[in-house]
Amino acid sequence: MKAEAPRRPSGVEALHPLTKLTLVLVAAMAGAALPTTLAVLAVFLGLLVPLAAWGRCLGAFLRTCLRVLLPFFVSLVLIQGFFTPGPTVLMHVGPFRYTLEGLQVALLFSARLLVGLGAATLLMLVTRPDALMRALVARGLPNQIAYIVVTALQIVPTFQARARSILDAQRSRGLETEGRLTVRLRAFAPLVGPLILSSLMQIEERAIALEARAFSRTGRRTSLVALRDTRSQMFLRWVLLLAGLALVAARLVLWRAA
Amino acid sequence: MITVSGLRYHYPETDRPALDGIDLSIEAGELVGVVGANGAGKSTLCYALTGYIPHFFGGTMEGEVKAAGHDVRRTPVSQLAADVGLVFHNPFNQISGARYTVLEEVAFGLENLGVEPQAMRARALQALRATGLEDLAERSPFTLSGGEQQRLAIAAVMAMQPRVLVLDEPTSQLDPAGTRAAFEVLRGLARTRETTIVLTEHKLGWLAAFVDRLLVLHAGRLVADGPPRSVLAEAVDQPWGVGATQFTRAVQAARLRGLVAEGTMLPVTLEQALEVLR
Repeated sequence: MKAEAPRRPSGVEALHPLTKLTLVLVAAMAGAALPTTLAVLAVFLGLLVPLAAWGRCLGAFLRTCLRVLLPFFVSLVLIQGFFTPGPTVLMHVGPFRYTLEGLQVALLFSARLLVGLGAATLLMLVTRPDALMRALVARGLPNQIAYIVVTALQIVPTFQARARSILDAQRSRGLETEGRLTVRLRAFAPLVGPLILSSLMQIEERAIALEARAFSRTGRRTSLVALRDTRSQMFLRWVLLLAGLALVAARLVLWRAA
Repeated sequence: MITVSGLRYHYPETDRPALDGIDLSIEAGELVGVVGANGAGKSTLCYALTGYIPHFFGGTMEGEVKAAGHDVRRTPVSQLAADVGLVFHNPFNQISGARYTVLEEVAFGLENLGVEPQAMRARALQALRATGLEDLAERSPFTLSGGEQQRLAIAAVMAMQPRVLVLDEPTSQLDPAGTRAAFEVLRGLARTRETTIVLTEHKLGWLAAFVDRLLVLHAGRLVADGPPRSVLAEAVDQPWGVGATQFTRAVQAARLRGLVAEGTMLPVTLEQALEVLR
């Protein structure tokens, strides 16, 4: 029976959620602290990409990272290249000069952005938000905050579905929703009003439903899903955290010395 | 199991009481239906029995409500929930949103009650079996149909094994197939007589065939209380806005035309109508 034999997670997915969180946090810290583009890219290629491959989500990971990074990368390369002063001019466009120093800054920022994005994307791909929240609640995070985070992530698709049905209802009453920008903007108010009102009306019922499940009961809580943790993972988390902090500290010291 | 004495309740900033002088006693294992026009006070009574009134809605409450041994005024709703369950009409809004699978959704209340994981899994699976959702255990609750979501809401409350289950129009948003499935679940639950069930409903045919006893609310007052057939027969001639089943109307029309004897008690279900016409 399906319910008694759920899919057993494999690879990085099987790690404790806090271990995965620590891994991506330290990767993001390293990305922010390391001083050169190559070193930052090494974090992406040497840590995040292998982890994504281990989690069997390399394709989705790379697609998401590139899709989100691309517009930022193009903007950074243009803006930093033209507006960062430097002695090495690569080209002239009218009165503007495009400098090598600007390009280098753009590449470093883009690499850091790639590592931050990659860390967040990887965490989302290999960790169920509710598992992460269960782990954080077990470490003292208030249950209410965990609920808000998980619900927000789950509710988005249903919110979109409701927006679509409101839009369809407004269209059936003759509202134009397609075409020029001004037409689309005019259609915005009749969509947003009912969407917000219906969501507000839902809040009361959802609060009643939560209370019917003893949500605000004080006292010990248990969990259906057991999160497997091991001594080696706990050790790894501490080592990673200390390494990340050491890296940030070293970066701050070098920055002050310079 | 439930005692209500002198209950009078005003929602905040209203002049007219939503419930006015309700006295009621329900024995353990009884199946009680509540009918009445919209605004008669059915949902308010459900909220009063489950402690949402006064804790959640505020307002002014007079009198006393005891359910499963708790004085609802003195017991927080989250504590009452272990003994007094509530299912309401909107299936979608009863999904907690905190869990990713149907099985986990059913276990959510048990987690909050601190039930041990092994017992929790067994109780959740038992509730899924009872509601016919066993094969959907690994699905996302948001991908279920309205009828399935309502059965999920019932399963989630059933798993908590409350001694009293209050259902406020649980089939109002369901199609005939969903209504039938929901009532089959309730019949299964009622068979053991371990749970006291209070059910408000507009679908009189289903309700009359299910409950032992029927209450009629009108303008916040309890105006009738008795066996479903006699209460609904009486309601036909009253301004309570309760309505009547197609069988009641058919025999009433036959009685007016002299096809059925004047003193014949009006039927509510098909079986009763056939008996009268025979």
